Amino acid sequence: MATVSPALDAHGHADDHSHVHHEQSFISKYVFSLDHKIIGIQFLMTTLIMLMVGGALALAVRWQLAFPWENMPVVGQLFGLFRSEGGQISPEFYTMLFTMHASVMIFLVIIPILAGAFGNFLIPLQIGTDDMAFPALNMLSYWFMWPAILCFGCSFFVAGGTAGPGNGWTSYPLLSDLPTAAPGSGSSQTFWLIGLTLVGVSSMMGSVNYLTTIINMRAPGMTLFRMPLTIWSMFITAILQAFALPVLTAAGFMLVFDRLGTIFPTDIHSVFFIPANIIVNNSAPTVGGGQPLLWQHLFWFYSHPAVYIMLLPAMGMVSDMLSCMSRKPVFGYKPMVYSMAAIAGLGFIVWGHHMFTSGMNPALGMTFMTSTMMIALPSAIKVFNWIGTIWGGDLRFNAVMLNCSGFVAMFIVGGLSGIFMAAVPVDIYFHDTYFIVAHFHYVLFGSTLFGVFAAIQFWFPKMFGREMNDTVQKWHFALSFIAFNFTFFPMHMLGIAGMPRRYADPYLHGYLEHLLPMNRFITLSAIVMGFAQFLLLGNFFYSIFRGKKVGRNPWNANGLEWTAPSPPGHGNFDIAPVVYRGPYEYSSPEAEAIGQDYILQTVPHVKGVAKFAHH
Amino acid sequence: MSLTPSLKPLALAGLLSAVAAIGGCSDSAFESSFAYSEGTLSLVREAREGTKANPGVKKLLDDRFGDPQQLKAWEKMPIDFGGALTSVAEVKQSESGSQVVKLTVEEGQSLPAKAGTVHFMTGACEGETVQVAQWNAKTGEATLAAISGNEIAAGDSCVIDRGAGLSTGRMLYMRHCSHCHGTSGDGNGPTARYMTPKPRDYRNGVFKFKSTNDMSKASRDDLSRIVKYGIPGTYMPSFLLMKDDEHHAIIEYVRFLSMRGEYERKLVAELSSDYSQTAYESRVESGEKKAEILQELDEFLAEDLKESAGSLGDDLAETWTTADTEEAAIVPSVPREANTPESRRRGRELYLSKTLNCADCHGIDGAGNGPQTIAFEKNPAKGDELYNEPGLHDIWDNLNQPRNLQLGMYRGGRRPIDLFSRIHAGIQGSRMPSFKNTPHEDIWHIVNYVLSIPFETEPGATGVAPSAAEAVAVPAAVTVPVAE
Amino acid sequence: MKKFWALFFFFWPTVAIISCLIAPSRGWWFPSAPMSRTGIQIDGLFYLILIIVSITFVGTQYALGYALWMGATKDSASRAHFSHGSHKLEIIWTIVPSFILVFISLSQLDVLAEIRVISKFPEQATKIAEVTARQFEWRIRYPKPGEKLTTEENPGDLYYVNELHVPTGKPVIINLRTQDVQHAFFSPQLRVKQDAVPGLVIPVWFDVLEVGNYDLVCAELCGWGHYKMKARIVAQSQSSVDKYLKELEAEQNEDGTKSEAAKSDE
Repeated sequence: MATVSPALDAHGHADDHSHVHHEQSFISKYVFSLDHKIIGIQFLMTTLIMLMVGGALALAVRWQLAFPWENMPVVGQLFGLFRSEGGQISPEFYTMLFTMHASVMIFLVIIPILAGAFGNFLIPLQIGTDDMAFPALNMLSYWFMWPAILCFGCSFFVAGGTAGPGNGWTSYPLLSDLPTAAPGSGSSQTFWLIGLTLVGVSSMMGSVNYLTTIINMRAPGMTLFRMPLTIWSMFITAILQAFALPVLTAAGFMLVFDRLGTIFPTDIHSVFFIPANIIVNNSAPTVGGGQPLLWQHLFWFYSHPAVYIMLLPAMGMVSDMLSCMSRKPVFGYKPMVYSMAAIAGLGFIVWGHHMFTSGMNPALGMTFMTSTMMIALPSAIKVFNWIGTIWGGDLRFNAVMLNCSGFVAMFIVGGLSGIFMAAVPVDIYFHDTYFIVAHFHYVLFGSTLFGVFAAIQFWFPKMFGREMNDTVQKWHFALSFIAFNFTFFPMHMLGIAGMPRRYADPYLHGYLEHLLPMNRFITLSAIVMGFAQFLLLGNFFYSIFRGKKVGRNPWNANGLEWTAPSPPGHGNFDIAPVVYRGPYEYSSPEAEAIGQDYILQTVPHVKGVAKFAHH
Repeated sequence: MSLTPSLKPLALAGLLSAVAAIGGCSDSAFESSFAYSEGTLSLVREAREGTKANPGVKKLLDDRFGDPQQLKAWEKMPIDFGGALTSVAEVKQSESGSQVVKLTVEEGQSLPAKAGTVHFMTGACEGETVQVAQWNAKTGEATLAAISGNEIAAGDSCVIDRGAGLSTGRMLYMRHCSHCHGTSGDGNGPTARYMTPKPRDYRNGVFKFKSTNDMSKASRDDLSRIVKYGIPGTYMPSFLLMKDDEHHAIIEYVRFLSMRGEYERKLVAELSSDYSQTAYESRVESGEKKAEILQELDEFLAEDLKESAGSLGDDLAETWTTADTEEAAIVPSVPREANTPESRRRGRELYLSKTLNCADCHGIDGAGNGPQTIAFEKNPAKGDELYNEPGLHDIWDNLNQPRNLQLGMYRGGRRPIDLFSRIHAGIQGSRMPSFKNTPHEDIWHIVNYVLSIPFETEPGATGVAPSAAEAVAVPAAVTVPVAE
Repeated sequence: MKKFWALFFFFWPTVAIISCLIAPSRGWWFPSAPMSRTGIQIDGLFYLILIIVSITFVGTQYALGYALWMGATKDSASRAHFSHGSHKLEIIWTIVPSFILVFISLSQLDVLAEIRVISKFPEQATKIAEVTARQFEWRIRYPKPGEKLTTEENPGDLYYVNELHVPTGKPVIINLRTQDVQHAFFSPQLRVKQDAVPGLVIPVWFDVLEVGNYDLVCAELCGWGHYKMKARIVAQSQSSVDKYLKELEAEQNEDGTKSEAAKSDE
């Protein structure tokens, strides 16, 4: 059936098969665009900006931990917030810094950069279709990010600029529930909650779209087990998102209803999370019969799966890239798929491990411990398979490969440190110490972001038709990787030394005083890491305009996206693709037969090739 | 980790490479300045800043108390400024010609490890502070950086590093206290605005919970108890685990801020009736010539204020000194009455009685809901005008409702003597009056009753006859009380 | 340059391991040896996991490094090894880790039950005090000497703040509660941690092995002053605790005249 010849250098019939182009205005082409690629790039740009915002907040946190109560650069004097204090920040400002750092990084960077940016850009291209199933919904999912960003932004300022939401990204009641409980628990907390809900709406629109698109719109021949692992990961992530998110949204609304007084001048409110007789800030005792632990259950029912939402797509993309850069099929494709599915499935029944010290029934603790231990298994399988993929490969040592290897190395650390926390008795000691901070930064920054750094460079040519400078990317990798480890590895030690999280001034406690030098070292490393990101940003924006122009398939990869023009026009493919094989047939005998070490998914089988190759 | 101190400039260089031009970055921690009170700012410029020839309020204040970077130890003030008291044993010349003073301490004490300055308390150099160029902690020989114009003689007493304690106090204060109580002790730090009740403004020299009589200031011991045990029911936490010398340093610094604030108020009080901006404007309106008023102000600054600047300090010092003496302390004339049902019943009768009328504020059941809490009170600062919200207010203009005695939460401490002092001296700054003329036995009965309120199964279950409850004259629900 | 990058991935886990090895000597390790019986068990489990994890860490990181080294030293003419994986290997590396994980999980259960399950609390454990967390301090309430601790306050109760006196050598229970928001009772040296949840009274047991002062801090974000909740657990002999409570009782009944009387007696 080899009637279609999708050879790469098939000139002459561009636009023949793609949808009819008509001139679009700038607004409808680049702003309120319905094109999944533009939306993906919009997400990417937005999240990169937010990455810098979140990073700046992190540096402010680090400054306070290294030089407690000393004049904080920029915020201390420039905005005049703390001029009368000589630039010394207030403790509630510190709580806001770490709260907003986490909120921005999780909700405005990691989730949208994976699902929003790469999910959008890659899904239609990799499954061989012209766009998402619901382009308008897709556009809305991006434009719901902006009200969310606006709400988060407002939450900084409604309380006078010195106290935004300061209850941690987990926002445990009652601190987040009673408006007088903390300086940031007034209307800024409400804005934060509304922002969170809007991010949820955006994610939900994306999920619905991804699920429908992946199920219904695959190109002919693209069976489920011929899908790249990126698509599998996006698919599983979308399922996770669609099932877990409603719980958080509901919980968010419950909290908003508890806090109705901060929206309308009313005394009427619900008491979902408010028990009776609580006196906060000298106010009248509360009337209620609620349970604060309910929030923790609901919150983590979403937020633990959310950890995998923040990780799985990166796992999928790294699998793709590692295979390509090793010129070798992914080791154990199906086990990779099954382990992702297992992670997602188990992900729904491990939320209680965030609550081992909360006073939850210990029998539940035992159950959650076992399920949490077991979720390490699919993660381990994936690591072994990645190493297996590299093993014996014809490696391309470019920055994509390095970042992917960095991903694997960092994921091992993050995964292994997680075992300590899964074990309840050990977690009793480590809960809410810097050990946890180290752990989740290894997973979320060490793994996900290094994966993202690789993915940006890998798919950059497809986005802009040019390539990024590999040398700059290598420098960026080396600096980020070293500074990252210098920043976060010592945090394990801080945790073992018993330093709790979220302390504005840990050195008040005698047993932590000697940790100041180490914290200074960490801060210095964090600053280096922060500034290293300008290499990425610089390279990114420079390359958009000045990068070397490249063809459709600069990496000699197999996926469908590489058969489309770079950048693909509206409608993606000039020839509607038909799929004949899996996405990872690098160095296969068939490829060898045509004198390449790769073979596109669209290349049809030729009878007798196998025999031919054995000559 | 000796490399770490050098990390900050590195970190700063890293962070500020993009914003190098912004703000003076200094290594000295807690660089800040004292704010002047509203009173000072309401004066005409010449009274505030001084005229060509004569200092104004700001300068008079700064000359005596300094600013946070350069605190001044005004010897009139009864503050332990810190430093080691020594006396001169011998005065020599070093080979290089500089003056070397050998200092000794009293037996049992030891010489400090470091010495930056020597301040002379007696002798020809009295009041002078000289920099020390070299210090030998073993022999006690201090090589002075400059040769004093006056002669130093053996036997002169002097203090090494006078003010060191105050500086320590300031560092501790800035780390632990200032985000609520403010750099200048005005109770207006950045965190203060989110709190109920508001943190104390020290500048009135008024402290609520103390063991001294109603006319006296708080003693050091009182302040120390508050810092150690906190104030339950407020955001003032306990700093129990702070070291004793740190407690002492903080308390001295709080007293310093308090005296500075009070001194500023006193200076302003001398000037405000004639030379506040509003007084000045109305005088101009009534036909006086601007130049004449300013001429008069200049004379006032030159003579009256210069003169009273010293005596105001003396008065201030005296009140603070008295607070720490036995004269000020409240000592019950009789021991606590046995805590019997009869005593508690008597206490309740007194509580409800017309003369003491505790229930007028604290309510018949002690729930802190007496009729006064829903009445509108006059705002003393605004003449006859009433406050916008009902309830009692303190002198800082904050709503300050009477304590709910059912909670068993006693801000000033739960010892019987604490409650006794509260009733005897009242709570300065709040509307809780002093009952110093009430017989001490009666106060003890009330104390016994009040301590039993949280454990009552029903109101008045201590065994009060119903007739006693009727005896109290309950005012109509909402009345406008006549402010005294 | 290829070899450099392969070595890079050998180098960093080596640095990580060395830094872990020197950490205890530099004070970057537990604040002290465990000072309670459950603490000793917790540390034992920690080291068990640490050993397993370290072996896995070394194995996987160096395997990754070696795979890269192979790629870096490969002669450029030879092609990649074409393979879709190995069923046998997949089974091995599924079953072996799952046994290890189940083993870790089972090894925790007894200690967990001992620490948290109320019916398994030591029989001789007595309730010594109620610890009420509030923004930003720990309020302690002891029963009147000789009386039992109850959930409700009693007239003779003794109150203190930020300092909990406990007898050594025997299990004790505290009732943990909070007056306002959520806090967590954390003593790093005793390896004790339990959240104080609004609306709940949670019993916590521990035994202190040696006389001494141990830190008590808050481990659950409770507002701007979270870091200020500095308190200590004073562990002393039963007789010293009794003496302390006597003194506290006398202090709490202070009426301001006794000291005067004492003076005149002298």
